[in-house]
Amino acid sequence: MSGTVFSIEEFSIYDGPGIRTTVFLKGCPMRCRWCHNPEGQSFSPEEVKTAGGAEMRISGQVWEAEDLVKKLLKNKPILSHGGGVTFSGGEPLSQPEFLLECLKKLKGHLHTAVQTAGNVPAEVFDEVIPWADLVLFDLKLMDPGKSLAWTGQDNAPILRNFDALTRRSLPFLVRTPLIPGVTDTEENLGAIAGLLDRHGVSGIELLPYNKMAGGKYASLGRIYDPGFDESAEPDPRTALFSAHGIEAKVL
Amino acid sequence: MNDQTKQYYDALKAKEYRKERKPLSDPLPEMYEPPYDSDCYVRYYKTVLSEAFPILLPGDDFGFHKSCTDVSRGLRAGNYTLNYARVIGEGFGPVLDRLKARVAKESDPEKLELGNAMIACIEEIPPIVEKYRKAAEDAGHVRLAEALTRIPWEGAKTFYEACLFFQICIYFLRSGMTAHLGLGRFDQYMLPYFESDLKRGVPEEELFETLERFFISLNVDSDSYHGIQAGDNGQSIVLGGFNVSGDYQINRLSELCIEACRELKLIDPKINIRVGKNTPFEVYKKGTLLTKEGLGFPQYCNDDVVIPGLIALGYRPEDAYDYVVAACWEFIIPNVGADIPNRCSMDFPKIVSEVLDEHLTGAETFEDLFAFVDEKIRANADDFLTKGNLAEEAPLPLDAVFLDGCLESLKGVYSGGARYMNFGAHGPGIAIAADALMAVKELIYEKKVLTKELLLDALHADFEGYEDVRKLLLSCPKMGNNEDPVDELAGRLMESFATHLNGRPAISGGIWRAGTGSAQGYISRGKRCPATADGRKAGEPYPSSFSPALGMKTNGLLSTIQSFTKFDLKKVINGGPLTIEVHDTVFRNELGIEKTAMLVKEFIDLGGHQLQINAVNRETLLDAKAHPENYPNLIVRVWGWSGYFVELAPEYQDHIIKRLEFEY
Repeated sequence: MSGTVFSIEEFSIYDGPGIRTTVFLKGCPMRCRWCHNPEGQSFSPEEVKTAGGAEMRISGQVWEAEDLVKKLLKNKPILSHGGGVTFSGGEPLSQPEFLLECLKKLKGHLHTAVQTAGNVPAEVFDEVIPWADLVLFDLKLMDPGKSLAWTGQDNAPILRNFDALTRRSLPFLVRTPLIPGVTDTEENLGAIAGLLDRHGVSGIELLPYNKMAGGKYASLGRIYDPGFDESAEPDPRTALFSAHGIEAKVL
Repeated sequence: MNDQTKQYYDALKAKEYRKERKPLSDPLPEMYEPPYDSDCYVRYYKTVLSEAFPILLPGDDFGFHKSCTDVSRGLRAGNYTLNYARVIGEGFGPVLDRLKARVAKESDPEKLELGNAMIACIEEIPPIVEKYRKAAEDAGHVRLAEALTRIPWEGAKTFYEACLFFQICIYFLRSGMTAHLGLGRFDQYMLPYFESDLKRGVPEEELFETLERFFISLNVDSDSYHGIQAGDNGQSIVLGGFNVSGDYQINRLSELCIEACRELKLIDPKINIRVGKNTPFEVYKKGTLLTKEGLGFPQYCNDDVVIPGLIALGYRPEDAYDYVVAACWEFIIPNVGADIPNRCSMDFPKIVSEVLDEHLTGAETFEDLFAFVDEKIRANADDFLTKGNLAEEAPLPLDAVFLDGCLESLKGVYSGGARYMNFGAHGPGIAIAADALMAVKELIYEKKVLTKELLLDALHADFEGYEDVRKLLLSCPKMGNNEDPVDELAGRLMESFATHLNGRPAISGGIWRAGTGSAQGYISRGKRCPATADGRKAGEPYPSSFSPALGMKTNGLLSTIQSFTKFDLKKVINGGPLTIEVHDTVFRNELGIEKTAMLVKEFIDLGGHQLQINAVNRETLLDAKAHPENYPNLIVRVWGWSGYFVELAPEYQDHIIKRLEFEY
């Protein structure tokens, strides 16, 4: 079973506990306007160029699950001390068979985490996710209309999968990107806080928007058009969470 | 930083005091022609001191700064750590008395000459001290004026007096021929003064201010040291470390040293931290907070590797447990040792390059070829054995006062006075040599996709017109990616180096020790080295010390630290760190600090001997923007995710650069 990977980052800091390697799977069903990782959107390999227009490399390499796992296990002496491997993207669950095979092969050897926005069919989510040791779940926009407008997708499957996740005994972490005027509104963060409260979730990580987000578009020959005021300071509104007894950590 | 410290710090930054310096009316004499006898040293020392006058900065309670513009040519010695603590405890008065009593009983003319020179050097001290005392009194530097009524003639009683005494020692040693004075295990030998002050009720905050001002003092003359480059003055400080019983010795003073460096952000002292498997994780975290400042230190040294390595070379265990770091990375013994750890260099890339020229055509198998490499390493090592004639070394009478045993034996530092006088050899470009051999092994002997003639032609043409060959060479496994075949070749090169050099007799009467450092040779040797079979072009620099080839895109830090910890590094204990760069945005929050600390611990636990981890700063980024090809691995944190700097659009690159703007 093979899959397309656009980056393997050793020593990634924000993708779960301990020292980790993060594998970025290529392709995502969502088109978040603020996406900082445009390489992760298309499922096909594409050229990455330097500012001067010279080709740097091809983004997106096809890996056999077996080879990828072998490569990841080479760092086991380090990754096995409280860290592990994180599959991110793109949307890693959009290459479910490949991801599943990697997770199965790593089971018992290394701790695994899957970073997902949850926008995949229920049966895919339910089949693959139990094989991970930790899920990093993105909740972006609670309003269906706004979700469609800003991410290109309805959020119904996301909420369904989130609900399914909370019913499992699997450890998970909720994360929300703070996009000024888009996701950091009182309405949205309040709704997220309510949802977490209803599911008995006690913490959330908030990732403030960084003006660097558009940095990679030009290297892919694309134009970054976020459609919101990039210069505004995102507001974490942590009080909305603490009102529900939820600990909000701003990363 | 209280008002006084701030005043002193601001004066250092303003650099006004530098204008007070004057040229000597007689320029430094061209006296340093052989023979380098004691008289010659004393003449030089007296010339430097003859016109010395006090310079005091606002807020300064240390003084003893350089007053002449002439750059002393401290070429003849140094790069060691003397026993300041003994002299600071005893005072020059009692030392002089002991010395005079010893000299009175001596009849050997050579020993008498040294003994009298030692006396002459000490006797030069009081008049200068008195000048400073008077100046301090006149300018209202009360604390300094008062302390100088006793110090340095009597032993220090307080932490302040001990630090002041230290400053005085450095001042006079530098007036002689000594450069690169290491501070050694400052947190251990200064601890009694620190603790006794605390017991007397001196608030810790006050001791911290004293420590900060002492550190500021270490920087006052950083523009006028003799050295390869400004600031290369060897003021290394070594914190922590295990004792013979296996206890890790880190104390409140060690922490305050790190704290002071973090706050001051100056180039001196350069912090080294001794660590090992049983070092508390907190120590790595504190070290990482210092790394975050982008000062290029701390450097970590692994006791679990260094101590057994030194013992295997014949150092007494009690000395090995007391090891310190010389100006850069060389592991040396303080108080009793005068090792010269930078005598020669085993230029690995050049050796491989020569072997290919001379033997590739005839070597039927890779093992045949490697035998020639081994042979050339042995031949180079043989050649070292005749090098480094100590007749060129000055007898250094003042240094001998500080080196244990010399006062009793009346032998000079390099004339039998030191317990250890071993020579060290650097080992620059190990990764390049291993990568080159790997390419030859794989392309010529295994896959047979490249002919010997074509490779040699391409190398001789510096790849002009042979870009395809170069591409092929560049595609082979490289050290730093955790690939056994090439890492094993690097191991074989080091094994050969160690086998042919370690323990062999040096001209000094000591032995030789192999290392992994490069000193400044990574630029200069690179310039002289022709194109190499790893794909490196002629003249391109080697990596610094024990690091992956420059500009080679690695799998990442986890692979790199494994590549560089596979070999039994106890065998190359002359030192030389793996140097890795992490962008300083990684250190932005607690999580990044914690994980970087974890990474350092992993490196140490895997058996690495030495690590230099740098937070990359603005200057590097500017260079990376201009020369993206040299920085394929430079990672910057973007947003919950990191990216390669060179792939960002220019305006975003500029943004990060701007974000990092701060004044040193």
